[in-house]
Amino acid sequence: MGNNLLEKEKILDVKNLSKEFPGVKALTNFNFNLYKGEVHGLVGENGAGKSTFIKLLSGAFQPDSGEMIITGEKHTFFTPHTAIRLGIQAVYQEDILVPGITAAENIFLGTELVHSKKFVISYKSMINQANELLRQLGINIRVDEVYERLSPPDQQFVKILKALAQKPKVLILDEPTQAFNTNDIELVIQMVRRISKEGVGIIYIAHDLDEIIEVADRVTVLRDGILIKTHDKRLETFKPDDLAKEMIGRPVDLFYKKKESPVGDYVFEVCGLKLKGSSKAINFKVREREILGVAGLKGAGRSEIARAIFGAYRKYEGKVFYKGKDITPANPIQAVKSGIALLTESKKVDGLFMGLPVDQNITVVGLDNIGKFFLSLNKERKFCNEYIKKLGIKTPSLDKEIKFLSGGNQQKVVLAKWLFKGVNILIVDEPTHGIDVNAKTEVYELFTELAASGKSIIMISSEMQELISLSDRIIIIRNYGISKVLDKNEINEENILSGFMGGD
Amino acid sequence: MLNSKEIKQKENGPVFNVRKLGFLNNQTFYLILVIIAIGIIATVMNPNFLTLRNFLNVMQQISILGILTMCMSLLMISGGLDISIGNMAGLIAIIFARMLLAGISIWIGVIVALILGIIFGFINGIIIAKSKVTPLIITLGMSYVFLGVALIFAGGRPQTITGQFSFLGEAKIGGVVPVAIIIFLAVFAFAFLLRKYTKYGRRLNAIGGSTLAAYLSGINVDLHIVSIYALSGLIVGFTALILVSRLGMVRADSGSVFALQALAAAIIGGITFEGGKGSLIGAFFGVFLIGILYNAMNIIGITTYVQTIVLGAIIVIATVISNIGKMRRQ
Repeated sequence: MGNNLLEKEKILDVKNLSKEFPGVKALTNFNFNLYKGEVHGLVGENGAGKSTFIKLLSGAFQPDSGEMIITGEKHTFFTPHTAIRLGIQAVYQEDILVPGITAAENIFLGTELVHSKKFVISYKSMINQANELLRQLGINIRVDEVYERLSPPDQQFVKILKALAQKPKVLILDEPTQAFNTNDIELVIQMVRRISKEGVGIIYIAHDLDEIIEVADRVTVLRDGILIKTHDKRLETFKPDDLAKEMIGRPVDLFYKKKESPVGDYVFEVCGLKLKGSSKAINFKVREREILGVAGLKGAGRSEIARAIFGAYRKYEGKVFYKGKDITPANPIQAVKSGIALLTESKKVDGLFMGLPVDQNITVVGLDNIGKFFLSLNKERKFCNEYIKKLGIKTPSLDKEIKFLSGGNQQKVVLAKWLFKGVNILIVDEPTHGIDVNAKTEVYELFTELAASGKSIIMISSEMQELISLSDRIIIIRNYGISKVLDKNEINEENILSGFMGGD
Repeated sequence: MLNSKEIKQKENGPVFNVRKLGFLNNQTFYLILVIIAIGIIATVMNPNFLTLRNFLNVMQQISILGILTMCMSLLMISGGLDISIGNMAGLIAIIFARMLLAGISIWIGVIVALILGIIFGFINGIIIAKSKVTPLIITLGMSYVFLGVALIFAGGRPQTITGQFSFLGEAKIGGVVPVAIIIFLAVFAFAFLLRKYTKYGRRLNAIGGSTLAAYLSGINVDLHIVSIYALSGLIVGFTALILVSRLGMVRADSGSVFALQALAAAIIGGITFEGGKGSLIGAFFGVFLIGILYNAMNIIGITTYVQTIVLGAIIVIATVISNIGKMRRQ
């Protein structure tokens, strides 16, 4: 595979590409190239600039400066239409095909009239062409099946086939294996290899470093919009461990300095939790006044485990104890009664009532505090104002619909909702996702105070600084099980990252 | 770091302040203006319009629709809908009339009618809560089921019970205010208080706002959905009694017309399909607008055909107006 890469034809050469959004340098003087038949891995944390780069390549964004040379033609910008004409195709994770028509129809949707002069589309020839494509790539799916009935990996194949039907020179795959199991990932990797053998240059983005290392010929690391390094896997000097370090490496002064306070006794325990019959049993305990960090890559099962503990995700087996008492909740109703709170990652969808005013969002779980049957609206107002002051929520009024508040303030309202109810265990999933730096610091301060006041916090996070600076201990999740437990003195980037990868 | 001015700007940006008029939101305010305008036009054209007698007349005419609109509004606020309430009322009315005709005592009849209302509502609620199918389809189907059963009970003939049970429909308190109006106002007050001042109402509101967020907040979503449909059914049972009492004669399809009218009145009043939105005061004025519009058109002498067109147009206009805020935001 790709032995004579350097002699091969360069089909894409990106020079000094820059893109700035208000307040963020998304990409700065980025250099990148791609050879014919090469698989080029692209890695970086969320917000490193991968998506920006892809969107510039596919014409969705226009660069501020720099140039892109595609098969010898020099471009300083292009539209999505030009990108397709030049042979660039991108397959995004969130792409949605038409659910109710067959796989074959989806593959040729939009191209069917280009490749046939007839007005009537021959369904049979479409199926045949699709099967021919499949045969070349060595995969087996039913192209005459309705798209929505296909398994997630098969749907992913259909998306890739749809892109291939356009006969691209450059194929961009954005996390093509997210949430797949090992076998399916292997299938995708094999398919990618076959496509590259046909001479297509592939840009492959994935969170799982093991996977990237397996599939790619070269790997480029992006961080904060800057090219860190392009590794050539065939060189002796290539060390897989470098990738993780380069992805995360960050100056120390960006870390939040937490006020340390002593933790108490173990109060909360998760015992023998399995989400699937086949997964490893999860056991962990949390102390009073402790923040337990939960690390792991996306798709490792962190959120599902959190939901299972909260009774909102079907589990195979397992129990939850609080102060020695079995409180295993069958549903969120019981979880809330036992004093567990879940602050979800997608708060706009499932944590907040976007159309309701701030006050109703705060009091909805703890209505018992403002009346037995009839509510005292005065009391409600008083309590809400207290929380607004205590958590520093910025809102023009209590009557303002929550959707008008900023992300950070919305997160504080979610927190207020649970504190007003009065809970002992807070499970927070990506608590600072999508909120700005100042609001993040405020949220960290609140968590620190809450822990100090006697609560236990289980914090799921993808942000390394957040995990390192806030956690008293960290458990690392990989493939729906705990791959590693880190005590306070063992918490550092390398130890966390080693839990992400095959290791332990 | 953002300075305070920027923060302020950010937060005051895309604002559509629906509460600047205190308890009246914008749509209710427009509604009242429209009602006043219709009143002025009708009075100019026929001075008989602006009399207490005519006002009570309008109120009595809308009392059944008004009660059903309160049911519909509570359901819509909790993210639901029930377009079977019309035929449900028809079926209960037929069964009640058959019982009276069979010589069963009024009191037993009344109790059976109310229990049937709860059972029918409960059936709708349990199917909707458990199947998660959109309530529109379920209640559309149930509406036909109720109508069919009513036709069987009625044997396809109107059931006449003249004089046996006229209190709810015809009696007047102090010889002036019809009982039906009092019941309508009582149901309105009940719905208003339930929604605004009880935990139950707040939770319905939350479920309407986001079922998923309500579930993850530990609210017993299914229990609330089933119970609000059952409560609505109970009120429908009441309405059926008023219907029988007022007409003295019922047909299987006597209630049919009310379901969509109640939906229309709720929408005109600012209740939305989104759930968690709108006020019952708005819904009240929505019903009142329909009542006064028909009355004014009758007084002025506009034919029924044209009246139907006007009602349709009002629904469209009201929905568009209530959506203006959203259109601007996009």
